[in-house]
Amino acid sequence: MSVPLLEMRAIHKAFYGVKVLQDVPLTLDRGEVLALLGENGAGKSTLIKILNGDYQLDSGQIFLEGQPVYFKEPRDAEANGIKMIYQELHYAPDLSVAENLFIGNLPRVAGPLGRFLIDWKQMRQDAKVALALLNVDIDPDTSMRDLTVVERQIVEIIKAIYADAKLLVMDEPTAALTPPEVEMLFDVVRRLREKGVAIIYISHRLDEIFQIAQRVTVLRDGRHVATKPMSEVSPASLVEMMVGREIEARQVELAEQNDSAEVALEIRQLRKAGVFEDISFKVHSGEIVSIFGLLGSGQISLTRSIFGAERYDSGSIFVYGQEKHIRKPQDGKQAGIGFVPIDRKVRGLVLGMSVRKNLTLSNWKNLSRLSFFLPQTERQHSQSWIDALGIRMAGGMEVPVRFLSGGNQQKVVLARWLEANVKVLILNEPTWGVDVGARSDIYDQLEMLAEKGLAILVVSSDIQEVLSISHRILTLYKGRLTAEFNHTEASQDKVLNAAAGGVL
Amino acid sequence: MRKVLRSSALQEVLALIIMLALIVVIMASASHLFLTPRNLTNLLIDSTTVGIIAVFSTMLMISGGLDLSVASTAALCGVVIGALQVSLGLWSAVLIALATGALVGLINGLLVTFVGINPLITTLGMLSIARGLAFVFSNGLTIPVFDLSGEHMAAYNAFARLSEGRWLGLPYPVWVMLLLFVLGLIVLNLSSYGRAMYAIGGNEEASQLAALAVKRYRLAAYVLSGLSAALAAVFLTSRLYAADPRAAPGVELTVITAVVLGGTSLAGGQGNLLGTFLGVLILSSLLNGMKLQSTSTELQNIVQGLVLLLAVAIDQVRNGNLQFTFFKRWQKSKQT
Repeated sequence: MSVPLLEMRAIHKAFYGVKVLQDVPLTLDRGEVLALLGENGAGKSTLIKILNGDYQLDSGQIFLEGQPVYFKEPRDAEANGIKMIYQELHYAPDLSVAENLFIGNLPRVAGPLGRFLIDWKQMRQDAKVALALLNVDIDPDTSMRDLTVVERQIVEIIKAIYADAKLLVMDEPTAALTPPEVEMLFDVVRRLREKGVAIIYISHRLDEIFQIAQRVTVLRDGRHVATKPMSEVSPASLVEMMVGREIEARQVELAEQNDSAEVALEIRQLRKAGVFEDISFKVHSGEIVSIFGLLGSGQISLTRSIFGAERYDSGSIFVYGQEKHIRKPQDGKQAGIGFVPIDRKVRGLVLGMSVRKNLTLSNWKNLSRLSFFLPQTERQHSQSWIDALGIRMAGGMEVPVRFLSGGNQQKVVLARWLEANVKVLILNEPTWGVDVGARSDIYDQLEMLAEKGLAILVVSSDIQEVLSISHRILTLYKGRLTAEFNHTEASQDKVLNAAAGGVL
Repeated sequence: MRKVLRSSALQEVLALIIMLALIVVIMASASHLFLTPRNLTNLLIDSTTVGIIAVFSTMLMISGGLDLSVASTAALCGVVIGALQVSLGLWSAVLIALATGALVGLINGLLVTFVGINPLITTLGMLSIARGLAFVFSNGLTIPVFDLSGEHMAAYNAFARLSEGRWLGLPYPVWVMLLLFVLGLIVLNLSSYGRAMYAIGGNEEASQLAALAVKRYRLAAYVLSGLSAALAAVFLTSRLYAADPRAAPGVELTVITAVVLGGTSLAGGQGNLLGTFLGVLILSSLLNGMKLQSTSTELQNIVQGLVLLLAVAIDQVRNGNLQFTFFKRWQKSKQT
């Protein structure tokens, strides 16, 4: 066997005595896609940052094409053909695709004026060639702003390839993509492989890894667990390797939905011009209903409108039979609706405030007298939710919530609305950026809450999640409800098809 | 973790105390007058205008707001007392001055929360407007505020006592300032209003989505800021026996310097009144000490500006916004 493109040997890294990586190896061949798996905090990103020159390794060695290399900073890594494709891309939104491709290395006109003048024609031509290389159908004159997320990613990738990148690191590239977009990205990845480019692919989505990767390296607690060909692993075995214990395949044992259950939330003819139209549905007490749609189908806007975070144009909202006029979040809360937003770090939590203060943020009435807090009562209420939901944190409830893991942060947001005693809970992407272990924990909590009579409305773009936690699934396509499935009749194909407007 | 955090807040307070002690030692060694009871009392009285306003500016800035118009508002409110004292009677004029301060704050607040103009620009505009109005209402002249006719002795004597009266050796305005600091400390730490300030400053969108009445709280913070400027104006007018449209020059700068020096983040979400109180004392000592050395006003302004920039730089380092490579590396190693 020839020399691998990349070999990382016995990588060690510690921060202030905390061992983040211990004896971790990683190898990668040309034209190979290696999936790098592990829970948050397993050491994936540290390993990548060492490869990229962001961090320096404590001990160990990196070989590139058999030669030992040492990267002091990201620039060194890039000069050696190693390129990161980040989730948040850096691009100039108002410049064209071609300009973004060649920024920093724009073709100049011949002659003495080349110092000042750009050869636009040449640039456009080069851009077309570059785009054709990966069979991508993007007009080089479009401005970046007008591209879809996946198209921007592809431009970024082409830019890297054009700069002779041999190794790409893709970190959760599909987090914000719709299924057809994921397909588009994977096409590009496959073509990259044919051209001999190697890819380290980081994703939480196991199904994607099985589609695209040849081998997988699993890390846990800073240690290398295993590196195996994809043919030798199963989703269950991967999860077990990541978590270190067996997680039962989630048993879909939703409590039978009682037909006579009261209607908790009823939406009639809700409409917001250009966003959603003619939306009517009901959620019963004790029921988990999911809205599934491709990104940009209007689901986020819809749930925000129901809660009052956005205005809708017409239609009505009923909570337990009473019509509620909801114009702002306070109205939503007053009506008994709780709302877990899509990005908890940006929209859900005051990161610098303590767990306790975040937990009680939506209900001060029961915890204060004459608008002064009763510290004892507040602590007791907080503690009871911490216990009930199993929120784990080092150092107690006075620790800033920023130090909690994603799953525990999500539980804090959840607990906030339970403390506010809501009857209807709306959750947007409840498990984004949440570990596999914590994920099933959150599902359990939702089921438990439903059993207690809460009506739960979930927006999710994770089809597995939708299928496994919902009593009913509504599909949304271009702002309209296209289908409704109950738990027994729903299947991945049917739901995806309905969510794509029946065109798949 | 908890201990570490606590001690870092404690460290900041400790650093401020050391800074204050250093300045006191330097000023005392430079002038034997500095530590006399008379000078210390003067120092405290001089600090009341800034101190009273700084209590509410701290709350406002914790919520992510800012009020540059406080000094002009104070001048305007003083002029309102001067202009209306004859026609309406002194105490009615004082009440209207307080209402004027609240109204200015309300307008600031409405512009920031409902029209969405950023606080810096809104209150910068108001700074100019209020100062202009103060000149208009006073014809640019200093208005004497004492009993010219001799018919309202009682009212004017009582008004003068507001600043001259003493309790336990300290003038009333100093007690009012201390009281406001203590009340403010309680409100910020124990009331829902205080919690809302921190939450909104920490993450406005999250606060909104947690169904907090963000706009109402913001509005209240601006109204209180305007009201505090009016209150400071009442004591200032009482002390000077006059309303001067040029009153309180540069006070908005001193207030912000004290607040930021005291550890309140310009980005919002962080801050405490103990720090602000120490910040006020530090600046007052510095300015008072320089006055004793007969330092020119110009030089005093330069020093104050330097302190503001220093305080803001410290704030930037605290928030990890400083772009020096050294700090970046240091921050990076701290994060992981």
